[in-house]
Amino acid sequence: MAEPVISTRSYVFTYLALLALTLITTLLGYLPLGPFSMVVAIAIAAVQACLIAGFFMQGLYEAALVRVVAAAGVVWFLIMATLILTDYITRGWLPFPGK
Amino acid sequence: MADHAASLVREQFRTAEQQRETETLGMWIFLATEVMFFGGLFVAFTVYRMYYPQAFGAGSADMNILLGSINTVVLITSSFTMALAVHSAEVGNRRLLAFLLVATMLLGCVFLGVKLTEYYQHYLDHKMPSVWFEYAGPNASKVQMFFVFYFFMTGLHALHMVVGIGVLLVILARTLARSFSAEYYTPVAMAGLYWSFVDIIWVFLFALFYLQGLHI
Repeated sequence: MAEPVISTRSYVFTYLALLALTLITTLLGYLPLGPFSMVVAIAIAAVQACLIAGFFMQGLYEAALVRVVAAAGVVWFLIMATLILTDYITRGWLPFPGK
Repeated sequence: MADHAASLVREQFRTAEQQRETETLGMWIFLATEVMFFGGLFVAFTVYRMYYPQAFGAGSADMNILLGSINTVVLITSSFTMALAVHSAEVGNRRLLAFLLVATMLLGCVFLGVKLTEYYQHYLDHKMPSVWFEYAGPNASKVQMFFVFYFFMTGLHALHMVVGIGVLLVILARTLARSFSAEYYTPVAMAGLYWSFVDIIWVFLFALFYLQGLHI
């Protein structure tokens, strides 16, 4: 009944893009980027995640409600990460009496 | 055929399309909870890595980048075959669907085999936290902490892979029993969502554990 929303061709291009990104992120790992090596690795991983969720999982072609739920999963995670990290990063910034 | 399709719509749904949308929404909500499940571990890892960057870099340098990148390619390929499996279900090609499901499961088994090889190598290197851990350099206890995260997070991911292969076995059996058609294939699509999600988790694990020690 339902027509395939994504062509085989698009899946192949997504697959090739994912392989290229894997090669790029591995090669970039050998560069001494210091603290930025983690930033670069996570940024490329995020792009790969978007490709997989958008095309392989057809997220881009689902109803708006489904896309909102998918985005909410990421937003909840970012809220948790931000609140926890603001605690750990700022510890020791202010002097406390007796500590 | 119309009767067949109509009989697959459960009574609480008005149309097959409404049923499909509802099931898809439910699956994405489940995946959102999985994001939180793994997310807690990712945040905990980040906190420890922030506190002990040298030790975590040293632990990361012990990873086998060759096996790690092979596994990344294997898992991305399995996600690709799974997406094609859903596609062949959409067009009602039962034979191709069965073939692609088997290919996906085999790639999943290759992934788990490579992962076990890595675990065995860590065991031989005495890098099993609290079981047999020896580290000559400084910050041995912090390096051990890196391996605790490594085994727990990749182990939890591997467990998801085992569950995924089990789910695909059921889907394969139902495919061979002619349960799916171009009119009804939602379980195939839901299994595909789960499989690709587990792939996404691995992409981040690869970035966190394998890539950070390469230039050391």
